[in-house]
Amino acid sequence: MNGISCSINALNGLYDISGVEVGQHLYWQIGGFQVHAQVLITSWVVIAILLGSAIIAVRNPQTIPTDGQNFFEYVLEFIRDVSKTQIGEEYGPWVPFIGTMFLFIFVSNWSGALLPWKIIQLPHGELAAPTNDINTTVALALLTSVAYFYAGLSKKGLGYFSKYIQPTPILLPINVLEDFTKPLSLSFRLFGNILADELVVVVLVSLVPSVVPIPVMFLGLFTSGIQALIFATLAAAYIGESMEGHH
Amino acid sequence: MASMIMASSKTVIPITSSLPSKPRFQQQIPQISLPKIPTPKFLNSPQILSLSSSTLKSISLLTVTSLSFAPPSLAEEIEKAALFDFNLTLPIMMAQFLLLMFALDKIYFTPLGNFMDERDAAIKEKLASVKDTSAEVKELEEQAAAIMRAARAEISAALNKMKKETELEVEEKLAEGRKKVEVELQEALANLEKQKEETIKSLDSQIAALSQEIVKKVLPL
Repeated sequence: MNGISCSINALNGLYDISGVEVGQHLYWQIGGFQVHAQVLITSWVVIAILLGSAIIAVRNPQTIPTDGQNFFEYVLEFIRDVSKTQIGEEYGPWVPFIGTMFLFIFVSNWSGALLPWKIIQLPHGELAAPTNDINTTVALALLTSVAYFYAGLSKKGLGYFSKYIQPTPILLPINVLEDFTKPLSLSFRLFGNILADELVVVVLVSLVPSVVPIPVMFLGLFTSGIQALIFATLAAAYIGESMEGHH
Repeated sequence: MASMIMASSKTVIPITSSLPSKPRFQQQIPQISLPKIPTPKFLNSPQILSLSSSTLKSISLLTVTSLSFAPPSLAEEIEKAALFDFNLTLPIMMAQFLLLMFALDKIYFTPLGNFMDERDAAIKEKLASVKDTSAEVKELEEQAAAIMRAARAEISAALNKMKKETELEVEEKLAEGRKKVEVELQEALANLEKQKEETIKSLDSQIAALSQEIVKKVLPL
């Protein structure tokens, strides 16, 4: 019995070290509803970073771009390129949506990996990338759904719904199902990747504190970038798909 | 996820009385999740050295399980993990995203995009105008050739003129020289004639004297 209690003490110690907090939230009450404060706080920081850097870099554009402007021009070209490949020639109006999607997810993911959020102690839960909360990813995925419905309806009117019985009406259930699987897969892919990445790093750090987690951290940075690109590309692809004509 | 599993497995191992019954928050607050040096308590505690092999076995088993699951004994104190906890955060994030989209569009995408497009157009225009200057260059070349031709004509005219002038001058001088030479020749000829006459005259008088002498010598007196 002594041994068991000792072992549990030991486990307690291990638990304190690893300190993996999953699904813990700092709750705020807003008008009778609960919100996850840590997600909102980090998302404000991300939004502030995005807006601040954009204002600084673009406030006085030069014909021959300097460092910051150069970088932002490169980013814009990249976003335009992604939108153009996925949507086609009418990509212009969708650049802000795709671009904001990419930048927000990218900066969120990297903030989770690079910013030392955990220096700031919360009374409950902990600060991390906004994208490791299911609310954020579902919000973004639902906005994508709304966006591609809007794109299709504004391009083709009610004729947009004829795509559900193409190429044959037998596929109607599958086509309807697709509208549910698209946001589901988008949101869960992002959520799962980012959460798993942070968990892997935390668990590895708790087990082997030095050197070993570093490659995993770099892998995490890579995954974060890829996930942002995948989300933006898929959103653009869905929009393009709903805008393209039928054969 | 781990704590969800934790929550489900709390009945597997009973909670022992020796556990510190502190509330969970107090345990969590001092924790810093930046890399800590792991100093597992069971290694430091001297108790562990006196444990029997069976206890060690159970400890190792528990340790192994603790790596995959958090200690089940704590599950009771940990609130149920809420991974899929949808609430007002979702619409707030949507609104934030839309606001961010409009703001970024206003301060980044539209202005910088327009600026880049304008610059592209300006560069293309400049390039096109550079191609157009080839006509201008041709015109300038023709002008230069015309100027060269005019200059050459002028130079040859001047040369001809100078040539004629010098020829005239030379002829004049030649004529002058010839005249001078002729005058001198005439003078010399006249002198010569005079001298001839004088010589003949003096010879005539000498002829008379000589002939008298010859007569004297030849004719013996």
